[in-house]
Amino acid sequence: MELSLLAWGTLVGLDLVSVPQMMIARPLVAATVAGLLAGDPVMGVMLGLLFELFQYDILPFGAVRYPEYGPASVAAVSAAALMQGAPGLGLGALIGLVTSLVGGLSMHALRRINGRVVHRATLRLETGDPRVLVRLHSAALARDALRAALVTAFGLLLAALGRNVLALVLPLSGATALAAAAAAAALAAGASGILRTVGVGPNLRWFALGLVGGAAVVWLT
Amino acid sequence: MKPRLGLSLLRLFTVQGSYNYERMLGVGMGVAEEPLLRDLRDGPESPTYRAAVARAAHFFNAHPYLCGLAVGAAARAEHEGVPPQRIERLRAALCGPLGSLGDRLVWAGWLPLLSALTLAAVGLGAGWWVVFAFLLVYNAGHVALRWWALKAGWAYGTRVAAALHHPVLARAAAVVGPASAVACGFALPLVAGFLGDSFTGWVRVAVAVGAAVGFLALRLRPDIVSGHRLGLVFVALALIAASVVRP
Repeated sequence: MELSLLAWGTLVGLDLVSVPQMMIARPLVAATVAGLLAGDPVMGVMLGLLFELFQYDILPFGAVRYPEYGPASVAAVSAAALMQGAPGLGLGALIGLVTSLVGGLSMHALRRINGRVVHRATLRLETGDPRVLVRLHSAALARDALRAALVTAFGLLLAALGRNVLALVLPLSGATALAAAAAAAALAAGASGILRTVGVGPNLRWFALGLVGGAAVVWLT
Repeated sequence: MKPRLGLSLLRLFTVQGSYNYERMLGVGMGVAEEPLLRDLRDGPESPTYRAAVARAAHFFNAHPYLCGLAVGAAARAEHEGVPPQRIERLRAALCGPLGSLGDRLVWAGWLPLLSALTLAAVGLGAGWWVVFAFLLVYNAGHVALRWWALKAGWAYGTRVAAALHHPVLARAAAVVGPASAVACGFALPLVAGFLGDSFTGWVRVAVAVGAAVGFLALRLRPDIVSGHRLGLVFVALALIAASVVRP
């Protein structure tokens, strides 16, 4: 199972920026598929939803730096799979948040490395040799694949530690507190990120309309 | 002349593969444009071709899904023998509009719209299959946009600004923003209810209070508080509380 999660996390990490940006890096997708691979799609959807809310806080405009929630969601599911309810959610959230921090740092480092490599190749690039161009590009893609694999491996290692150490020493109430803390932060991040995207223009009225509709559905069901 | 649009499109899917702070998407743009330059007069390996390839890899930054518009337009301009300085200016002039349009259309429109609808469906009890529906619908729009951009860039060449005023684009930009806002508003209470179902009694109240405090912190101090930092601080506090208050 760990190997398939490692492979999936690598693909997810590549998808975010490099190729093909088809949104398998979106936490809801990454975690749900990870849940299917780990035999616990329900926990996968739960954690996917949690990290999807955190993802709303990120707008990938320009060269902005941000945490990477894709491989982190895969690691979170690995930590939480087959644990029921809130304790699984809490442990998964903890592992995922730490892994996403490492993922974000690694992306920034990779861009700096790519920048140095491209800078060194400036003269060769200016000759217009397509082989130089393709070699540089392919090497950068390979570096990102390696980066994604390493971040996922780190997350999976952390998940194994969490399952085998933290889950044993943390009382049920503690794991529930972790889950509650993560859920509160995710809801705050999601709501704030959505409001930032919506802005204060006419879309705010549409947002309010949707909010009333959603609240009515929750009330009625 | 039959342009290699298919190969260029495939390469465009990797346009951010060599993302860096020096040329941003430049190298990826060069890789994507190169197949369209092979038919340049004098053929590949000629000085004309080499100069065009070198230009194609210069600094560029825009929304990745719309880069094809610049790739197609610049390649067409090279074929039409437009002076190099004008091609460089064309590429530079496209960065801002393509970035802004893509951000509005995709990052702040199509993506949150479908993501929110998926979240709402999950909140209403739909199974994991809904995630695959999201992927399918999202990528239908994604691939169509990439293909349209490349074809339009190639068709319009230096007059590419006209493509940006395409009525379908204007209509989509006008509709997708409000639709996304409604969907996000609709999804939020459903998601809160779905997450809240994992807890009982006072823990549920604590989640609501924590979410309200976190929301205020994010809105009032966005310079120092991010969603990720908030998450790390909250779980750290929960861990400390769990280790201090043992049952």
